[in-house]
Amino acid sequence: MHNPSSDCQRKVWSIFREMPILPLLIVSFLGAIAGVPYFCTVGNLRNYLLQSSDLLIISCGLTFVVLNGGIDFSITSILTLGSVAGAYVMALSPLAATPALSIPVAIAVMMGIGLLVGMVNGLAVTQLKMPSFVATLATQLVVGGLAVQFTSMVSATSSIAGLPEVFFVLGGEGRFFFVPILIAVAVWLFSWWLLERTLFGQWVYAIGVNPKASFISGLPVKRTIVGLMVLSGVCAGLASVIATARNGVGMSSLGDKMFLTTIASVIVGGTNTSGGHGGVMHTLLGVLFITLLNNALNLLGVGWYTMMIVLGGLILLSAMSTHLLNSRAGWTWKKGQAGDV
Amino acid sequence: MNKRLISHAISVLLLGLTLTGCGKQQGPKVVTLGLSCDSLESAWLVMNHSEVIKEAKKRGVEVIPVIAEGDAAKQNVQIENLIARRVDAVLCIPKDSSAIVKSIKNCKAAGIPIVMINRSVSGKVLPDVQVIANNQTMAENVLQSFADRARRNGKTYNVVLLIGNLSDENAALRKAGHQKAIAANPDVFKLVAEVPTEWNLDTTVKGLQNALQANPGANLIVTPSDYLWPPIRSVLEQRDRWAKLGDARHFPVVSFDGDEVGMQYLQDGYSWGDAAQDPVVEARLAVEWALQLIAGKTPPHNIIYDEGQIVTIDNFKELGPQVWSYSLLK
Repeated sequence: MHNPSSDCQRKVWSIFREMPILPLLIVSFLGAIAGVPYFCTVGNLRNYLLQSSDLLIISCGLTFVVLNGGIDFSITSILTLGSVAGAYVMALSPLAATPALSIPVAIAVMMGIGLLVGMVNGLAVTQLKMPSFVATLATQLVVGGLAVQFTSMVSATSSIAGLPEVFFVLGGEGRFFFVPILIAVAVWLFSWWLLERTLFGQWVYAIGVNPKASFISGLPVKRTIVGLMVLSGVCAGLASVIATARNGVGMSSLGDKMFLTTIASVIVGGTNTSGGHGGVMHTLLGVLFITLLNNALNLLGVGWYTMMIVLGGLILLSAMSTHLLNSRAGWTWKKGQAGDV
Repeated sequence: MNKRLISHAISVLLLGLTLTGCGKQQGPKVVTLGLSCDSLESAWLVMNHSEVIKEAKKRGVEVIPVIAEGDAAKQNVQIENLIARRVDAVLCIPKDSSAIVKSIKNCKAAGIPIVMINRSVSGKVLPDVQVIANNQTMAENVLQSFADRARRNGKTYNVVLLIGNLSDENAALRKAGHQKAIAANPDVFKLVAEVPTEWNLDTTVKGLQNALQANPGANLIVTPSDYLWPPIRSVLEQRDRWAKLGDARHFPVVSFDGDEVGMQYLQDGYSWGDAAQDPVVEARLAVEWALQLIAGKTPPHNIIYDEGQIVTIDNFKELGPQVWSYSLLK
């Protein structure tokens, strides 16, 4: 006999199993509204969305790589080099006098750096058979070093100021607060479409589950890996545009502390670190949750180290719960590694 | 079914909003200061941070502290949150003198006074008040007093100058003060190496090792902060030059800050002089001016100086006890 209540329970269980962060996000959001002074004010909710925007963009890119069973350490270096290179174009280069020209060129440079580094990462993984861990760690060091070197060559300090005011619109200055939010939403929608509605998305999942089987089945494994590394790099480049515009300067330390929050957003959201399971919907929830945590704990005046403990604990819990829930659902962990084709 | 679940979730959310009273505030409004600190890496910063909180508490003022962990972008985000929290004023030790301009603009747009502590900001957009040590003058004076002593003793020195992270205006000003003193005393000083430290201990160890290796005749280290004493000690120990004054292996060091490490080494005879800035004075001045700004008063000058103390091996007995960290010495 059909039991609607049991059906509903199954659905709820399936959603919670798929996205264990969702109930936690709802409870935390309600808790913040009830217990954190000034959380639910227009100004703070605006901050909340603004603070989520660059994190969502960079996390969407990383999600593709993690879904594939890989990792991309170079994203924060792309953020940094993009920031100082773009700031140089807008503030110190011969183009600086004409913002109408310097801003688009700077944006192209920032995203171009992401594309180039992503391409190098992809080729290193597929052609040189390097694990993504090693390849992206190497590019992180090279690109991060270049950023500091470049900044010290063009500026007496570790930042480059004097960017055109109109560029700050991309960071959501004043009444243009919606601009970075809209960009982040567009990136998220595009990523969702790419993963859920295209053949490329199916390849990403399939390769994430078992790269060897995918290769034998005739999937373009190498091309897919290069593609998603490029996507990750370009997303980091775009996040660099938003973050630089938000801070009003190009900084050689911009990405220094961002990797933890980015990987936390992806993992806490529920994307499996071994690949093949998860997606950008999970990442969206992860980003909203991590930003909520930062925002609410700031408002309460809770120290940074406490936040680090909470964040680290959550990553551990999420990884464990994803493993347990997937085990209960009969999920089989893949044996191969992306790039191992 | 999924749609039904989503609509249930939204209903729960809306119910939560209604029940909890969105954005309600509890109790009567007390004056609240937001305290944004770059990091708590040095004893000076820790003392200043706790003194601001202590001073505010003494005056019945609440403090919301946030620490940016050396991340300028995070500091801007945290100050955005403090503004949303509707603090009455923001006290800030900035990580990056250029990046903090964004927060100054945001505070001004929100009508919230902002006071810089210890690290100044220059340019078109200034905070309401800056309570800082007179970095350039103090750096120049401490090295000048060393030059005077060297001249009296007929000695000359090849200087290795350590440089802080130049995005920190203090580092830039101290560098300028040290360079001015070196240039003013060509008969005593010869600058043989400049070592960028980025305020990073590991970078300092490597840079100093290389500088001393490349310049075996170097015989004076000038550091812009007591924070850099651990790498200085480590490198001098490796070269068997960590020795007290009077020992032939002694390698003179001139420092800045006046924290307990620098003062201890001064007392013990490893250091020749320290330009001591006062975290307690700066904390009290900052809280005082934040409250005055909230009350609508305008400061006479944008910069209010902590003139500090130039403590050397010659005047340690007299001036040492006046430095904040003296009570912490062994």
